[in-house]
Amino acid sequence: MTIRKPTHTRRSVLKRSLALGATAAIPSTFFINHAWAQDTSYDGEVFDAGGATINIGEWGGGWEEFVRKGLVDQFEKDFNCRVNWDSSFPWFPKFVTQGAQNPVYDICNWNLPNLMQTNAAGDYFLSADEVKANVPNAADCWDFAFASGAGVTWAYQPYVYAYRTDRGDPVSNFRDFWASRFANKRGTYGTENGLMHAFFMATAQEFGKDQYDMDAAFQALEEAMPMKISEFTFNMLSMLERGEVDVAVHIEGEALSLKRKGAPVDVWQWDSHPILTQTKTISRYSDPMQKKLAFALMNRTLEPSFLNAFGDEFLWRPTNSKAAITAPLAEEGVENTAAATEAFWVPDWNFFVENKQDITERLNGIFGL
Amino acid sequence: MNASQSQVTQPSARYQRHTKLLLVIPLTIFFIGFFVVPVGLLFASSFNPQVIGQVAVTSDLTLDNYIRFFSRSNYLMAAGRSVLLATIVSVVTLIIAYPMAFVIAKTENAARNTFLLILVLAAMQLDMVIRIYGMMVILGDNGLINQMLVALGLTSPDAPIQFMYNFLGVVLGLVQFSMPFMILTLVGVIRGINPSLEEAARSLGATPRRTFTRVTLPASMPGILSGSLLVFALSISSYIVPALMGGFRVGVLPIHIFQQVAEGARFQFGATIAVILFLISAGAVAVYLKLGARNSGGLA
Amino acid sequence: MGRKIPLPMLILAIVGFFYMLVPIAVVVLAGLTAGDFLTFPPKGLSFRWVIAFLKSDSYLSAFFFSFKLALMTMIVSTILGTAAALFLSRSRFFGRNAMRAFFLSPVVLPGVVIGFALFAFYISTDIGLTRTIWGLWIGHILYSTPYVIGTVGAALASYDVSLDEAARSLGASPWRTFRKVTFPNISQGIQAGSIFAFIVSFGQFEVSLFLSAPNSEPLPIAMYNSLRYKFDPSAAAAGIFAIMLVTASVLLTNRLVNIGKLLDRK
Repeated sequence: MTIRKPTHTRRSVLKRSLALGATAAIPSTFFINHAWAQDTSYDGEVFDAGGATINIGEWGGGWEEFVRKGLVDQFEKDFNCRVNWDSSFPWFPKFVTQGAQNPVYDICNWNLPNLMQTNAAGDYFLSADEVKANVPNAADCWDFAFASGAGVTWAYQPYVYAYRTDRGDPVSNFRDFWASRFANKRGTYGTENGLMHAFFMATAQEFGKDQYDMDAAFQALEEAMPMKISEFTFNMLSMLERGEVDVAVHIEGEALSLKRKGAPVDVWQWDSHPILTQTKTISRYSDPMQKKLAFALMNRTLEPSFLNAFGDEFLWRPTNSKAAITAPLAEEGVENTAAATEAFWVPDWNFFVENKQDITERLNGIFGL
Repeated sequence: MNASQSQVTQPSARYQRHTKLLLVIPLTIFFIGFFVVPVGLLFASSFNPQVIGQVAVTSDLTLDNYIRFFSRSNYLMAAGRSVLLATIVSVVTLIIAYPMAFVIAKTENAARNTFLLILVLAAMQLDMVIRIYGMMVILGDNGLINQMLVALGLTSPDAPIQFMYNFLGVVLGLVQFSMPFMILTLVGVIRGINPSLEEAARSLGATPRRTFTRVTLPASMPGILSGSLLVFALSISSYIVPALMGGFRVGVLPIHIFQQVAEGARFQFGATIAVILFLISAGAVAVYLKLGARNSGGLA
Repeated sequence: MGRKIPLPMLILAIVGFFYMLVPIAVVVLAGLTAGDFLTFPPKGLSFRWVIAFLKSDSYLSAFFFSFKLALMTMIVSTILGTAAALFLSRSRFFGRNAMRAFFLSPVVLPGVVIGFALFAFYISTDIGLTRTIWGLWIGHILYSTPYVIGTVGAALASYDVSLDEAARSLGASPWRTFRKVTFPNISQGIQAGSIFAFIVSFGQFEVSLFLSAPNSEPLPIAMYNSLRYKFDPSAAAAGIFAIMLVTASVLLTNRLVNIGKLLDRK
């Protein structure tokens, strides 16, 4: 951070390393002579990147290990490039600190709420249409994969309630969460967690006129107290396994994996069918070679062979209509057809992001933070 | 060796003072460059108007962020809670950890001593995100302690004692987390106490208890203060323990800072909270150091 | 002879050890489960998850990266911190307490503040430290040095300065005095401080969030990431391995430093 008056003349003199803490929204007209303005396109063919480096932001740990083995290592060989993998989420503050003109990652993996938050803060990403035009495999994806307008969703899981089967009748209704038998045995997440955001929108939709009825959601969540609030899904599953909670907001694949391992747990998909997504964005102001590599990586990610392997490992569903549903899910009746995917709802994250500060503060108040 | 010889080999007082300064200059430069300046800039931005995503410090000055902080009760309560939490944790940790440090320091058997140290270090080593699982198994509503209480008929299964997801949970978590730090600080000091002091006391007829209260305890004051200060600092700045053990109900300043900075990119307001946290801690540190100066004759 | 440790003290110590160790024991046992998910009590005992951890590329490389970084941090923090502690304890000047507080202040700030402040600083000054290991190292040193100063300072405070004065009056130079008289006596404190520095750096999460470099994931972040998408005991297994490593290190260090000798203060 430097102490200076916010003028524009200084900025227009800057070169590529514009990272002097630029504020988010910079008009792109100042950089018409830069290489970014050139169109980069990709047609799906393998090309030689000459050893270029591409920066990606994506989850690490076991996820990174699998994706490297199943996708990235081969990608580096085929395209003669090097992938710089950064796994320390959160991405949003890093993007805004470096600014749109100096994107911290060329291609980044998100859940939608944070993606939309960054997208609203500036001109960071190529639009979904622009990506679609340069990623051949995207043509095979269902429409909801482009709902964000700023990236392409490649995998998703429906939101569910994960509940213990040894504590009474199975859960079969969104409002069962509020049943008195679950007092202080119901689990959800902190105000900054994406699952809580989706739960909030779904609650608004259920108890109010529509997903925009925030007051109805606040009211309902107040009535749901006391609840056990967790930080992340693993913790929630261990709470469920230990019997600290009997019903929890969760996502299908992860909760089902616990069921498959023998715990007395089952899932019920919310009848509003919101989904948790893995969405990749490509930065608008990346250099041409990086952008081309990003398109290529995006294309590879949408390859049915990769999506199938990924689904087998982590139980996520693919957005590519040509990919298969992994056996454990298929056994439960999950299908990858137009009819099956029609019902899925992507909440209006733009609305959420606009009201995020208020929502966070009121939820904090309800939880007692 | 006579007096005149030692006078010849002693360097001048000024030379001594200058070479002593060399000891502290590297760290000072490092701190100024990589602590004072970056954090100072961050603090300065707290006087700028709140703009999401803006990181640069501008000359646009305002007190809006501070007004916002002081006008909302949840932030004020968070500040109070942070101080209360840190104070309670440092006192409780001291009470539990001192005996442990004492035992380790006084264990003559080298093997046993090493074993105990290994236990302390192992406890310190386990990452918090997975340690929470262990805490939950013991302290949770369905945890071992509650199961035992139910088995003994002291509580009913529907009304467990809530050791977690509340202020008590955070205290328990922070104490468990801080114990190794306090122990290790104290062990060094207790061991360093001149054994002839204790021997002298005992040869004058003092019981072990009296020796302890009159000789050992006062002599370990520097360690007590240093350890308490360290635990206080750890507790007041901890994000992960209140987040995981508090069930999102225990609002402390680091959680609010994290929300503002890492999640909301509201850097100016986040900086404001950080400034206030820093001032509170500086106040506490000043108190500790004053106590320290008085208790160890200015040597601490 | 008489008991050296008063009974109430011993009882309190035992209770303390229990409280400190039982959660750790739970995690260790859960990580040794033969079953497929994290549960307690474990369904049978097995090393399968520890082996899986050792076979896992990402976990193991994260482990060694954190180890390397912690070692680097420990060395620098110990040297800088010990020197500063010596200065603070041997000097009398007006701002001494303030200086001591100043050097301790990184610890009172949450890691996210330091991490973010440095991150923004690196970007705005463009000195080439953004998202590099060196930039991360600096953050770790900043965070670890106060611990060294605290422990060494405490050891120095209870150290009998007349020992030094005696050595000096016998003609020893300041450096010789330090080496032969001061250092052996405060080495416990220095050892404790450097261990702190190592462990604090190894387990550092929040500072690393903003300062991490690509392709170098510190272990706590790797663990947190792994916990996001798979419910299995591998995080516990990582913890077991870390504990085993600490044990091995202490045993090794003991051989080198010979604690027995230091205990021999007749």
